[in-house]
Amino acid sequence: MKTTSAQAQPETGPAEKPARGYAPLPGVADEMVDTDGHVRPVWRHFLSALERMDETELSGRFARADRYLRDAGVFYRAYGKETITDRAWPLSHIPVLIDEAEWEQLSRGLIQRAELLEAVVADIYGKNDLVANGLLPPALVASNNEFLRPLVGVQPAGQHFLHFVSFEIGRGPDGNWWVLSDRTQAPSGAGFALENRVATTRAFSDVYAETHAHRLAGFFGAFRNALQAGKPAEDRIAVLTPGLANETYFEHAYIARYLGFMLLEGEDLTVVGGKVMVRTVAGLKPVGVLWRRLDAAFADPLELNQNSHIGTPGMVEALRAGSVTFVNALGAGIVETRAFLSFLPNICRHLLGEDQRLPSIATWWCGQEDERAHVAAHIERMIVGPAYSTRPFFDDNEQSVLGSSLRETAKQSITEWLETDGPSLVGQEAVTLSTTPAFVDGKLVPRPMSLRVFAARTRDGWQIMPGGFARIGAGDNVSAIAMQEGGSAADVWIVSQKPVERTSLLPAEEVFIRNMPGSLPSRAADNLFWLGRYIERAEGALRILRAWHGRYAEYADPSQPLLKDVTDYLDALDIDTSEAVPTSLIRNIDSAVFSASNIRDRFSPDGWLALNDLSKTARRFHVSVEPGDDATRAMTVLLRKLAGFAGLVHENMYRFTGWRFLSIGRYLERGLHMTRLLGHMSGEDAPDGALDMLLEIGDSVMTHRRRYNVATARLTVTDLLALDPLNPRSILYQLNEIKNEVEQLPNAYANGQMSPFYREAMRLHAGLAVMTPETMTDAVYKRFEAELEKLSDILAQTYLS
Amino acid sequence: MTMLYDVNLHIGYLYDTPVSGGRHIVRVLPLSLGRRQRLVAGTIGVAPVPGERVDHSDFFENPMSAILFRSNHERLDIRMQARVHVDVPQTAADFSPRLEALPSEIAGHWSLDANSPHHYTGPSPRLKDCPEIADYARSTVNPDMTVREIATAICARIHKDFTYDAKATSVGTTPREAFKLKRGVCQDFTHVMIVALRSLGIPAGYVSGFLRTIPPPGKERLEGADAMHAWVRYWCGRVNGWMELDPTNNIPAGNDHIVVAYGRDYADVAPVIGVLKGYGEHQTSQAVDVVPVRQSA
Repeated sequence: MKTTSAQAQPETGPAEKPARGYAPLPGVADEMVDTDGHVRPVWRHFLSALERMDETELSGRFARADRYLRDAGVFYRAYGKETITDRAWPLSHIPVLIDEAEWEQLSRGLIQRAELLEAVVADIYGKNDLVANGLLPPALVASNNEFLRPLVGVQPAGQHFLHFVSFEIGRGPDGNWWVLSDRTQAPSGAGFALENRVATTRAFSDVYAETHAHRLAGFFGAFRNALQAGKPAEDRIAVLTPGLANETYFEHAYIARYLGFMLLEGEDLTVVGGKVMVRTVAGLKPVGVLWRRLDAAFADPLELNQNSHIGTPGMVEALRAGSVTFVNALGAGIVETRAFLSFLPNICRHLLGEDQRLPSIATWWCGQEDERAHVAAHIERMIVGPAYSTRPFFDDNEQSVLGSSLRETAKQSITEWLETDGPSLVGQEAVTLSTTPAFVDGKLVPRPMSLRVFAARTRDGWQIMPGGFARIGAGDNVSAIAMQEGGSAADVWIVSQKPVERTSLLPAEEVFIRNMPGSLPSRAADNLFWLGRYIERAEGALRILRAWHGRYAEYADPSQPLLKDVTDYLDALDIDTSEAVPTSLIRNIDSAVFSASNIRDRFSPDGWLALNDLSKTARRFHVSVEPGDDATRAMTVLLRKLAGFAGLVHENMYRFTGWRFLSIGRYLERGLHMTRLLGHMSGEDAPDGALDMLLEIGDSVMTHRRRYNVATARLTVTDLLALDPLNPRSILYQLNEIKNEVEQLPNAYANGQMSPFYREAMRLHAGLAVMTPETMTDAVYKRFEAELEKLSDILAQTYLS
Repeated sequence: MTMLYDVNLHIGYLYDTPVSGGRHIVRVLPLSLGRRQRLVAGTIGVAPVPGERVDHSDFFENPMSAILFRSNHERLDIRMQARVHVDVPQTAADFSPRLEALPSEIAGHWSLDANSPHHYTGPSPRLKDCPEIADYARSTVNPDMTVREIATAICARIHKDFTYDAKATSVGTTPREAFKLKRGVCQDFTHVMIVALRSLGIPAGYVSGFLRTIPPPGKERLEGADAMHAWVRYWCGRVNGWMELDPTNNIPAGNDHIVVAYGRDYADVAPVIGVLKGYGEHQTSQAVDVVPVRQSA
């Protein structure tokens, strides 16, 4: 058994030799250990701290990080053959530490590269000098799916095509860095880098505090300021997401919430007079900047991909009018093309008049005879893959093959492949990557890594995020192509000798500007409204089912008149009492989760967790719970969880417009529930026990006893559940609350007149307020039910379309 | 011989339920192409009157109008009237290379302008590679043929093998489906021929336009004259450049053909592309009239 204390370094001296059996691989650069076997100075403090921790402490620390990620709802979406699942975020808990001086040199290279890519995009969509001068083969542009012809000649509003880019870089055996690929379309990962940082500092809060690691917030702040400065004051900034089904949707919501931007989908937007507008509950509002996370071709179904269902017709028109800035410009993804890497060195000399400071991985486009011959002759050292791919070779669904992994016969067929399909292929040098320590099975082991580094255009030019997102390979195969087989992600600390500046993105005044009523997108309002309705619908069903099973436990006979009557009632609502926890209830809760997931940016992680917990519990009960007492108890648990979610929302959601739509949804559904139920169960011909059951469902047994001092009677129950303005379960109470909420909505009054929705809500409230218990007949309930449904329709027409 | 035509086009949409927020792009106005074709006068009228209209040229230098409706409407009428002067020059002698020499001629074209052959070599929005059509094309040619001879042979073969049948296909039919049916309209003939030529490495594109409605005395009426027409353009080397063939009628595009738009396939040149909000179905109608006003030698 290993005794850590015996091997531990003295507390005072930093570790110079790696411990815990860490041994770098021969012939491979290692981030922590130099070629002489010494721990690099930048790692020493971290490593000695690590060595002082025993395994119990370490696993406790790692668990803290994992818990944070779980609680924050960080996940990534994995696409299986048939299913899509949300997987826990695979954090490798040991950060990658890089010395500030080295990082600065790397940053200079990456800034030059960002400028170069900007110049290339500008040329392709502008003068086309590169093609005319023979520096870029025209076929690589013309046959490229990312070459968007409608954007040719369109000058971007802020004169720049690129604003936020990322680079995948790796360190070769000689210790130098290489660029493996560029991301200019819609780089992902910046939000995950932030979350990796928070999680890693949960595990190593003490070490982090003693380490002069650069903070990330300043980088995002500078980018936000640049976006805000580059647009008219009244224009909104939004993150444009393809929607919930996207693999990085979590990150879109996270970035929007973190920076205080709206989170929008294509259908939230419309183009009027060449200007992009967002549909909000207060009408159309101008949008000046779209940080897009959807691929460019999908942005406009009219002029770009005609099959896109997630775009905005007229978007290209708005770009021609110069009224909106895209981060990054539509069409900018073309410089991600793998084959471009082979032309960048010459292009850099031509456009910038200097050599590239940071080389790309060596690349040969096989559309040229000499290059093709070179690739064929050196196939042992090559990775061969699609020339037009915009994904790096280690992340392209295994479309690339490693020459040295092929048998002799297969090498023959590769040569033939190069001859017939040359123009669509590139060869790239099969580089090996450096390793960095990862904690695997209680040991520190070297694992290959590549870094994703982010660059943002700020008011002072390009800035490199001081940190990033490290991909850690799953095994010890250091061939870069092996990175395609999964793995994990780690935080990156850029460590300074001196204390670093600490900026945080504390909400500044502008946060309040953006949240003023009126900027709620209609689609978000729609989701909030329906979330309210689904939640309340679930509660209504749970209350009825609990009352039903309580009586079933007593009678044990579903044909008992009261049970039969309620069974019929529920049947009409598609709720099947033969299942203890009915399928339709599960579906209903799923719908609530779906509505909520569409508006993740508006939810606290607590609310989201509570809702998911409710959904999981309901599913478990669905398969495990028996009718009768067991079901009664189950319903009580579910009701409590539901109240927990509602409470979190009620307590924690700011009283802006969004909250009002959620509330209106709840009141409306609760009103409908009670109206329907009373119409069905409070008539003269209701079975014995119906009135008591109504009081139980309406959570009003005690109130009734206190208030009327008589046995349940039709009139007192009707008074309490339909007409009592103070009973939070009564119909009148719901109508009153709806009226109050509507008053606060934008455009409740237009031109001194009540909006149709407000008028209808007032009319409905007044209509019920003047009723007496005697007049509440089945027909009256039916009428109110219809009117409430109509109210929902008018709401949708007024605010949600 | 030169021709002066008056062209009238009406495209109508009738919606089952009122639609709102419609945005359309319209490409129906004949092009001006130097001496070959000159637009003397032309207008596009839209009813109801659009809330916005912006006219400009697309990447392939076709005039296009973007129109937007803000209010609900149940029908949409697009009318185009034009007077066009057509004077297609005599076909030049065949200086086109053999197939094996074509790639280097294409590669030597260091430009991405609208007429660059590079745009027309690979798959395009509506036209993916199709092995069946590629086999068909290969079986039509031999190594001694020039690019022009190849295109002419494929055009003739499609015309012979395919039956003109307006009921067999629709606007969304893929070339593979049309090829299987060996039936279709001008759009299908054109798409199949483009895929065939591209499979051999010959740059090929889509031409949308009009055909003279009433044939000259003693000549047969051409197929496809009662609606907008389509045919093929292909690039046959540096010297001969672009040529046009009409596989529906197995003739070169001549004085009976009026060009409206050039593109890679139908998606680039569709007369009307629209996105609108509505629930019901819609019916479309199209009427074309191409009347010679004057003919001179």
